[in-house]
Amino acid sequence: MSWRCFRTRRGFVPYLEGGLPPRTAERIEKHLAQCRRCGELLDRLRAGHEAGLQFGRIGPELGRRPPAFEELRAVIGPARDARGLPVRPAGAFLRALTAPMAVRVLILLVLAQTVLLVVIYRNTLWPAGGRAAISLVNGQIQDFTPLRITEFASNTKSPVVTEGIVRDVYFDKEEKTLHIKLVDIQQKSEPFVICEVRSPAGMDIPREGSRVRVYGMARYDPQPGRGWNEVNPVMTIAVLKR
Amino acid sequence: MAPNISSGETLALGALPTEGERRIVLAAQRGDEDAFRELYQTYRDPIWALINSLVGDPLQAQDLLQNVFFKAFRGLGGFRFQSGLFTWIYRIAHNECRNHLRKPRVPFVPLEAVLGSQDEIDRARVSDRSEARKAALRAAVMELPFKMREVIVFKYLEGLSYKEMSRILGCPPGTVASRLNRALAELEGRLRPSGGLF
Repeated sequence: MSWRCFRTRRGFVPYLEGGLPPRTAERIEKHLAQCRRCGELLDRLRAGHEAGLQFGRIGPELGRRPPAFEELRAVIGPARDARGLPVRPAGAFLRALTAPMAVRVLILLVLAQTVLLVVIYRNTLWPAGGRAAISLVNGQIQDFTPLRITEFASNTKSPVVTEGIVRDVYFDKEEKTLHIKLVDIQQKSEPFVICEVRSPAGMDIPREGSRVRVYGMARYDPQPGRGWNEVNPVMTIAVLKR
Repeated sequence: MAPNISSGETLALGALPTEGERRIVLAAQRGDEDAFRELYQTYRDPIWALINSLVGDPLQAQDLLQNVFFKAFRGLGGFRFQSGLFTWIYRIAHNECRNHLRKPRVPFVPLEAVLGSQDEIDRARVSDRSEARKAALRAAVMELPFKMREVIVFKYLEGLSYKEMSRILGCPPGTVASRLNRALAELEGRLRPSGGLF
């Protein structure tokens, strides 16, 4: 068998299927006209190809239906990972959660936690009836009176806790103190309160526009040119929203 | 609910997994039983036909089908999306059949073959030329050596291209073409003495 025969024969099945480009088909026909043995082989392949097509249509004798998934699972056991350990279905945890008893317990837990958080939050910030808030400041539990910035003018209590938006931050080099101007509403410069931090070294200084909660002593600064309310000294400051 | 592997996609022996295949493999890798079910239901019938064609015995085919899916399910955790999922399972099935047929074994004769099942009795009654032709053709294919039979099955039953066959068989398309030629010539030779059925 020559190299030309070898190459031609590889294209016989596509040729029988009519799937060859015209030039390739022409090349095969040209070779067939000259090579009797390839012609004989092509005749055999044509018959075999017809038989193959017929086999493709009738398919194998299946006899029976393949097993259903449940039957297969019963035989091969649970799914296992590469280490041979049973795979834990992803939905198992969710299904366990949605079981009636688990759902009840979960809902109760969520409700209890929500109530607890609401109570703590209300009492810490703005307790009803002007009760003092209790907070842990500098490692000590202290009572702070929650005070809005608008309430400072009539305030007589101290220490206080207040919340506001940082309008301005100023560092006094002579006194080495940090002054933070807090306002109630960002768009308005008054009313305001000045929060004086006496040892700002290492402190995370809040940015202008951020919302902070400040714990400290409430006082009024009567110096000429000032005449404003202060939280001085600031005991602690927490950024609520950057 | 497991992703549907074949929604909008036809089963194809691609070099790379389709989006549907990727979704179902990831779901199965997470242990989603519905994904395993979807996978089985999608590939069961073509793999069943393939195994039956290669082995020719439904009873043994059932064992092999279970082996194929056992190996596929176990191996899914390590599936790295470097080939199409169908190609991968197809290759498992092909190897399983080849290894099965390599094993020396006592010729299996089902009891039904000895006694004759009611089906066969009924079929014999309505036996006609068409059925005889089908039986002869199936027998001729089943008698081919495995390497010839597999290319006939891939080509004519599964409709695979040379490229797809080469991917499964692990040989170049040219080798597949040569093997198919030999298989067709052999099939023609086996059918010729039986009375020129075609």
